[in-house]
Amino acid sequence: MPYIKNPTVQKDMRVSYSPTYTFFGAEQMLRVRFHGRGGQGAKVASRVLGTAAFLEGYCAQDFPLYGAERRGAPITAFTRISREPILERGVISEPDMVIILDETLLDDPQANPVSGIKEGGIVFINTAHSPAEAKDKHKVAERVITLDITKIGLDMLGLPVLSTLAGGVAARIAGIEEDSLRKAVEKEASAILTDEKLITKNLEASLFCFHAIHSLEVKTTEAIGKESPVIDVPFEPALISSPTINTTGNTPLRKTGNWRVFKPVWNYEACTKCMTCVARCPDGCIAMNEDGFPYTDYDNCKGCLICVEECPVKAIEKVREVHT
Amino acid sequence: MNMTLIKSIKDLPAEENLFPGTPTCAGCGGLLALRHCLKALGKKTVIVNAAGCFTLLSVYPFTPFQNSWLYTAMACAPAGAQGIRDALDILIKKRRLDPKEDLKVMVLTGDGVAYDIGLASTSGALHRNLDFYYICSDNEAYGNTGFQSSGATPFASRTGTTPVGKTSVAGSILPKKNLFEIWRSHNPPYLATISPSHPVDLINKFTKAETYKGPKLFINLSPCPAGWSTDPAHSARLAKLAVDTGIWSLKEAIYGDVRHTVIPRKFKPVEAYLKEQGRFAHLFKPVRQEDVIRKIQEMVDQYWNGIQKKDFIPA
Repeated sequence: MPYIKNPTVQKDMRVSYSPTYTFFGAEQMLRVRFHGRGGQGAKVASRVLGTAAFLEGYCAQDFPLYGAERRGAPITAFTRISREPILERGVISEPDMVIILDETLLDDPQANPVSGIKEGGIVFINTAHSPAEAKDKHKVAERVITLDITKIGLDMLGLPVLSTLAGGVAARIAGIEEDSLRKAVEKEASAILTDEKLITKNLEASLFCFHAIHSLEVKTTEAIGKESPVIDVPFEPALISSPTINTTGNTPLRKTGNWRVFKPVWNYEACTKCMTCVARCPDGCIAMNEDGFPYTDYDNCKGCLICVEECPVKAIEKVREVHT
Repeated sequence: MNMTLIKSIKDLPAEENLFPGTPTCAGCGGLLALRHCLKALGKKTVIVNAAGCFTLLSVYPFTPFQNSWLYTAMACAPAGAQGIRDALDILIKKRRLDPKEDLKVMVLTGDGVAYDIGLASTSGALHRNLDFYYICSDNEAYGNTGFQSSGATPFASRTGTTPVGKTSVAGSILPKKNLFEIWRSHNPPYLATISPSHPVDLINKFTKAETYKGPKLFINLSPCPAGWSTDPAHSARLAKLAVDTGIWSLKEAIYGDVRHTVIPRKFKPVEAYLKEQGRFAHLFKPVRQEDVIRKIQEMVDQYWNGIQKKDFIPA
């Protein structure tokens, strides 16, 4: 392992490395948690940060956590960075830094992205709002940094995919050098992309985000975390322990409209009431109003835009969603 | 037979039995077809769902269904359907359930279950002539776990387990299993392929199927934006392209007698369908793999050359 400098074996058999780095003190660890929606790139963002830290000589660990969900659903990813080998495993419940790729997650009690954040921790929110506005709107007590990386992604990549961009943001806040980030993005992007142009664009966008954020001091915490309490789950008969849903059709409460980056908007002057959009909506969000014109349930429309693509008279427009 | 077949999308049932807010990906082709299937089947249907993407539709405490829904392991959904069918029959026989209150039983699975893991229990149910519906949502790989190759994966598709590399420049080297013919060899009363891009054909097939007692099976080609690496907005168009290129043939078999319900007037080249999808991108970039594309075209041509015009009936 060429990155190790002066390894010395201590009495307790743990390998430690003499401090050649400017940022983390001895026995310190930075714990970062990423919150995004499936497909946005939270997993790759955590990987870009982990790889960048690794290339800079730190020990790093990164991994995602998916629930029983798909694209668009809330997911989390984690990165641990330390000068010492990282023995801690499992999800990070008390992060020093949280990177939120989707603002609407702040209002989702199932995602709860700021839960457990350490005092003096940093919250990055992908939003067009200023830090003060975002802090006030979402009632976040910690230090807040904001940047509209969705817009940067759309402008620079042509896609609302935020993996390398959020990686750039996180690397800057964590105090990683530009060169390490550059190498990490090249490595991670070429592992999943074959299009050279797109890799270059990702690198440019990532560095743009890196420089758009001011560097600031992050508090790290002890490398050895507190022991988590073990929850004892008693045995229960199947009738009690297996979940039963005693209602019908309640998924509209989930409000999957939060997933949208673009929304369909109908132009009734051009609409011929052909009902193609109604027949093509996978989620059954589109219905006809009293005048026979189609309308959608914006609370649940996921923004797949099949209706925009399929409309034979192009009466449906694709409009960038701004969640307010 | 007294059946009311519909002619246009304006005649599709207005009733929505699959509610929005599901956790499926935006632009899920399988969900679009399922929505139409449930319009046809109605509320009085019990759904037996084998593990797969669609088990995520009902995640505690939410459900998009108007129907009762049972979750089974991958191999045993038809066995679950047998249990429910028997229970209903016994209740009716004992006069504890009015025959008017009888329910249809429907098995819902993905292609991993239908083509591979649950094939044996389906064969058993077909053999016993179980009165049930089977809908297979075929996105041509194990989509729920990260798009690994299944028996339904077509030749040359890139999947999680058939990556494009030195060993195989073409991706998957195996052809797609012919599940339609495997099922047809059991001689079920009704068997059909459906597509989310042809909802009128889909609804009419369910109307026809309803007149038969016994197994009624449907295979739907489900465009999968996450697995196929396509834009969610293109799902319906890709489903239609699959039909227009002849890659997905829309047909039905009544007691084994095959009839095609849609035959494109002029077939588009398969390339039109392949080049839109990330899972086939290696056939075009960085070098065009002409021999592989030609082989896929030949496989499609070979299939349709054997189809006579007399095999065609408009649905």
